[in-house]
Amino acid sequence: MSRPLTTVLTTALAGVAFLALTGAVSSAPAAKGRAPAASSGKANSIAELVARYDSSSCVECHQDAHDQWARSVHSRSIFGTGRTAATFMTAIRNGLMTWPSSGVKTEKDVKVEHLMGCAKCHLPQLADATDNVAQEIVTTIQEWQGAVEEDDEARIGKAKDTLTSLNINCLVCHNRNAIIHKWTDGYPQKDAVYGSQDGEHADPKFPKMAKSAVMGESILCGQCHGQGPNFELPNPTQCATGYGSYLFAYIPEGGDKTCQDCHMRESGLGHDMQSYRSEVMAKKALDMHVVAQGVFWRDNRELRPKATVRVELTNRTGHGLPDG
Amino acid sequence: MPVPQQLGRGNRMGRGPYEKSGLVQDSSLPPLRTVTSSYEIFFPFEDGENDEGDTVRTFPSESLAVEVKLWYLPYGTMDDDAFLWREEKRTVTVSMSGK
Repeated sequence: MSRPLTTVLTTALAGVAFLALTGAVSSAPAAKGRAPAASSGKANSIAELVARYDSSSCVECHQDAHDQWARSVHSRSIFGTGRTAATFMTAIRNGLMTWPSSGVKTEKDVKVEHLMGCAKCHLPQLADATDNVAQEIVTTIQEWQGAVEEDDEARIGKAKDTLTSLNINCLVCHNRNAIIHKWTDGYPQKDAVYGSQDGEHADPKFPKMAKSAVMGESILCGQCHGQGPNFELPNPTQCATGYGSYLFAYIPEGGDKTCQDCHMRESGLGHDMQSYRSEVMAKKALDMHVVAQGVFWRDNRELRPKATVRVELTNRTGHGLPDG
Repeated sequence: MPVPQQLGRGNRMGRGPYEKSGLVQDSSLPPLRTVTSSYEIFFPFEDGENDEGDTVRTFPSESLAVEVKLWYLPYGTMDDDAFLWREEKRTVTVSMSGK
């Protein structure tokens, strides 16, 4: 037999980049005396905001969860791979600065409200900060971009450290965004961490454990992983639509798993929530079955051999693929 | 993929999150369903002339190696962070004698 020739079939799923984020900003005002941990006054600098959401005391007892989280995109939610930070600036320059009624003519006009289109999910606690913090974020991203252009490693590292100090950490999911139905379940308490049970908690800063009704539910993740346009914003944005797909495509097909089932428990990744770049998630997500056979096709009187290839793709996730 | 609509109007795709609102198309694989696609690939051939000057078509191989690759293109093009999800190979063989 002669040497086989090679043909490559490329099936591409074009898609958009997304972050695996959990948590979102609450637009509801805090009730007096029952304020979310983060809403006792506004942070006036990045350092203050970081301090207010300081989760370092969690590490002592939850080292594994911390290490898992540190590998996830949640740990660098406004920096990402650098592309996320750059997209903040694109949103300002190509969006806000071009829209006549945004109030933004230059980067110096950017306030918290202007960043919330991104920060709703990438940094929900920005809602608990002053416009000075919004400005500091913008100038830090500009500093990072300038340093990258000049290949100045020291400045790159410093700016990156500042930007990655802002993230979706323990307190965002286990306090700030742990309660969704605040009129039903009350507002997050400043001294409590929310999880699967009530009780005492061996952390002087957070002496109480409290049960979150939604910590194991998909709706917790749905706060950020989106249904479409965020209509509560003056200029709705849209990033992830995965939760919408979960609700309106996966559930109607008989799906019965939660986000946490697949992304945390079955994957074995715990707090290292991953998506398509993770080998374990990619393996779980999809079945590909290929059947190929050779046949002769007849064009008038001419016989031509051809390969017929059938490709079956089965999406085993709880949302469209790709989506996020 | 869910193809976002630019600012929720018209038939144009939006790219930056600040201009995405709604969908104009969704080509993603639906959850819990199987999507089948078929491809037909003719074997390569070579045309030559015989001693009488007639065109004679020959097929250099009785086998064709087919590689099926499933790519995820986060930014829509192969040259920007393309990610290979699956890859399978099959070899298709035909008998030129017809048997």
